[in-house]
Amino acid sequence: MSRGGITSGARACACLLALAFSAGVAAPKATPTPGALPPVKVRDLYYGDVLYYFYQDDYFTALTHLTAAQQLGRVSHHEGDAQLLLGGLYLSLGQHREAGQIFAEVLDRKNVPQPVRDRARFFLGKVWYQRGYFDKAADTLAAAGRAGLSPAMEAERRMLLAQALLYQGKYPEAIAALENWKGPVMWQAYAKFNLGVAFVRNGQLDQGAHLLDEIGRLERTNRELDALRDKANLALGYALLQAKKPVEARPVLERVRLDGPLSTKALLGVGWASSDAQQYRDALVPWLELHGRGMLDSAVQESYLAVPYAYGKLNANRQAAEYYETAIREFGAETGRLDESIAAIRRGGMLETIVKNESRSQLGWFWQLSTLPDAPESRYLYHLLAQNDFQEGLKNFRMLRYMERNLDGWSTSVEAFDDMLATRRERYDTRLPAVLAKLNGVDLEELQRRRTEIESQVVSAENTGDVAALGTPHERELWAQVEQMESVLANAGNDPDLDDARDKLRLARGVLYWEMNDGFKARAWAVRKGVREVSQALRETEKRWSLVQEAKQAVPDRNGEFGARIASLRPRIEGARDRLAALERAQADYLADIAVRELESQKERIATYMLQARYSLATIYDRATQDLDAKRGPAPQAPTPPQGTQ
Amino acid sequence: MLTYTRFSQWLRALAACSVLALGAPAYAADSAPAAAPAAAAATEPAAAPATTGGDFKSLDGEVQGLKKEVLDLNRDLFMLEEELLFPANTQVAVFLSLDVGTFFELDSVQIKLDNKEVANYLYTDREVEALNRGGVHRVFIGNLKTGKHELVAFFTGKGPHERDYKRGANMTFEKGVGAKYLELKISDRQSAQQPEFKVKEWE
Repeated sequence: MSRGGITSGARACACLLALAFSAGVAAPKATPTPGALPPVKVRDLYYGDVLYYFYQDDYFTALTHLTAAQQLGRVSHHEGDAQLLLGGLYLSLGQHREAGQIFAEVLDRKNVPQPVRDRARFFLGKVWYQRGYFDKAADTLAAAGRAGLSPAMEAERRMLLAQALLYQGKYPEAIAALENWKGPVMWQAYAKFNLGVAFVRNGQLDQGAHLLDEIGRLERTNRELDALRDKANLALGYALLQAKKPVEARPVLERVRLDGPLSTKALLGVGWASSDAQQYRDALVPWLELHGRGMLDSAVQESYLAVPYAYGKLNANRQAAEYYETAIREFGAETGRLDESIAAIRRGGMLETIVKNESRSQLGWFWQLSTLPDAPESRYLYHLLAQNDFQEGLKNFRMLRYMERNLDGWSTSVEAFDDMLATRRERYDTRLPAVLAKLNGVDLEELQRRRTEIESQVVSAENTGDVAALGTPHERELWAQVEQMESVLANAGNDPDLDDARDKLRLARGVLYWEMNDGFKARAWAVRKGVREVSQALRETEKRWSLVQEAKQAVPDRNGEFGARIASLRPRIEGARDRLAALERAQADYLADIAVRELESQKERIATYMLQARYSLATIYDRATQDLDAKRGPAPQAPTPPQGTQ
Repeated sequence: MLTYTRFSQWLRALAACSVLALGAPAYAADSAPAAAPAAAAATEPAAAPATTGGDFKSLDGEVQGLKKEVLDLNRDLFMLEEELLFPANTQVAVFLSLDVGTFFELDSVQIKLDNKEVANYLYTDREVEALNRGGVHRVFIGNLKTGKHELVAFFTGKGPHERDYKRGANMTFEKGVGAKYLELKISDRQSAQQPEFKVKEWE
């Protein structure tokens, strides 16, 4: 294959792919676009073909094309990059094992350029991280140099490194990894947040609080930063509450957006901050606000107990009792809804409704569910989806389903291949005898002999000046007659009566010779040209003859080979389809179990709340009865504050 | 008897745990805000020890194994299809690539081989974006006999100044016994401030 190379200014290299891959995962919007990196020529068309699908996030097709191209030797100029891309594609399809092997192999090879080595370490570290091997992830990520990493990749490397260290409880190391680091704006904000959390976990509340406060005061610029701001404020607020600093905690928690996803927890925290400061009236404001919100949220559920608690603190026992009654009613209704959802999940079909109408382009390991189906259990799925196990299981289920459909398609195709092959065999069997009969009727040797003879005649005619040899048949006939008449006249002696005839014959011979001689060169050229054409045609015939002879053997061999391949693929397809279906069922059962387990635990929590509400209500009634009895009694006593309120 | 205070402490502890999970061995879900955006997906490790049960790992192991088998099977089927339908001795493939693309926004391409239309492809925005980023589209694959053949391609789209633009490019090529690859290249000719359309022959 001649490789001219595509002199593209916009063609991407593996480092670009790597970036695009990471960008495709969940890069911040502030990440530099892949085009900003130095481009590398794409030198194999099929490598570009893989990129075409890769850039459309069609990882399954990209992987299929890449592995086929590698097997067929079509991406030889991009061997190293192609391996990295392959690892990235496996990773994006959730195949951590294969991805890890590939990146490790790249690192084991000698003469691998440092930038490729760095990227391989980066991805390998990411694989370890995703599989939960945080020690290995931290070691690998720490060893990855910066030469082959783009700024965004370097930022991600550092962040993953810090998180891997945090998972291991190595807070000082995590702090060291993040402290004094300067990176792209968005990443910097996240790093600062992580650093703040690391400080807090390391018992350095002041340093952590300072950083979290800084993030919590960021100006509102985009949704991503807003979310981070809320998280920082919430984390700091609760850290201060735990440190028994409610007065400081309250304004921090109040900075969380009221329409954001963390608002319920923040409102609950604001209430606790006021309550800790014994400002129960103030505490009621955020807690009552929570009452208008969905019962699914644990903060909302807790508010149903917190509100009567505050009323109780304010000695408003009647309101407290009413709110406990409301809580009991709401908890009961919620329990009913949970039972309904559990029953629906047990009946099956939850996953069907989720994965229905999924588009193929969304297939990927970093897929997120954007809309939920309208079903009784759907209201709980948002919570379920936040769980790692459920998400991973759901991705597995989607992938298995997609693969099953893919194999359904291939199954039909293989039937068609079989038919096609059968038709080819039939056509071959029908046509071969006719072709062979035709070829056998041609004597190639005789044709060669005749060609040689003609060629010799031309050479001889040219050498001897035999112009008649190249004359037309009519000329040659006339020439023969002239020669015959000359012979007759020669045998007739010197008869003067024949002189006239001799003159006429001489004239005729002269005219005839002149005519033949006149066209001799042109005729010799034409004959030579004809001979050349015949030679070429004969060569072509010989070639075709040998091709037919080869094909006579090769076609059945090739058909046989295809037949064998089809025969071996069919059971593989059937076996894989059966196993896919079985694993799909197992996966669905597993997901249903997670969902039910989660809903059961919600039920248990609500049951605890319910018990608590009933108990508190009984306590209120009990106290009211005691108060009444005391009033009726001979010697009234002063009311005792609830035990332990001070 | 559970007092109000004890109850409030219990509730608060519950809330605090769910928000910060400080000191927890794992980076718990609710403190995942610490995750950087690009690492957000990875912040919840696929197999984080703190959140992942043995059931998941064993089932996930099975799923990974089967997925790999199916991926390999898919590759084998893909190769079989190509080799069966387009044998190397007659195979002709036409690819399309974009370079820079400042002066031309591709809408569609029409390909004729020996005066017979073999492909007419309308590109989506997503596909054009993939081409702009360096992807190469195999727009046609078919079979041709050995010998001379003519390829004609027509490109339509928006040219300079958002004007409708249609251009053609052609090439006569010799099909030998091996597979023949042709590349339709659209690039920018800076000097003329115009797009340029070329056909390149690969062996």
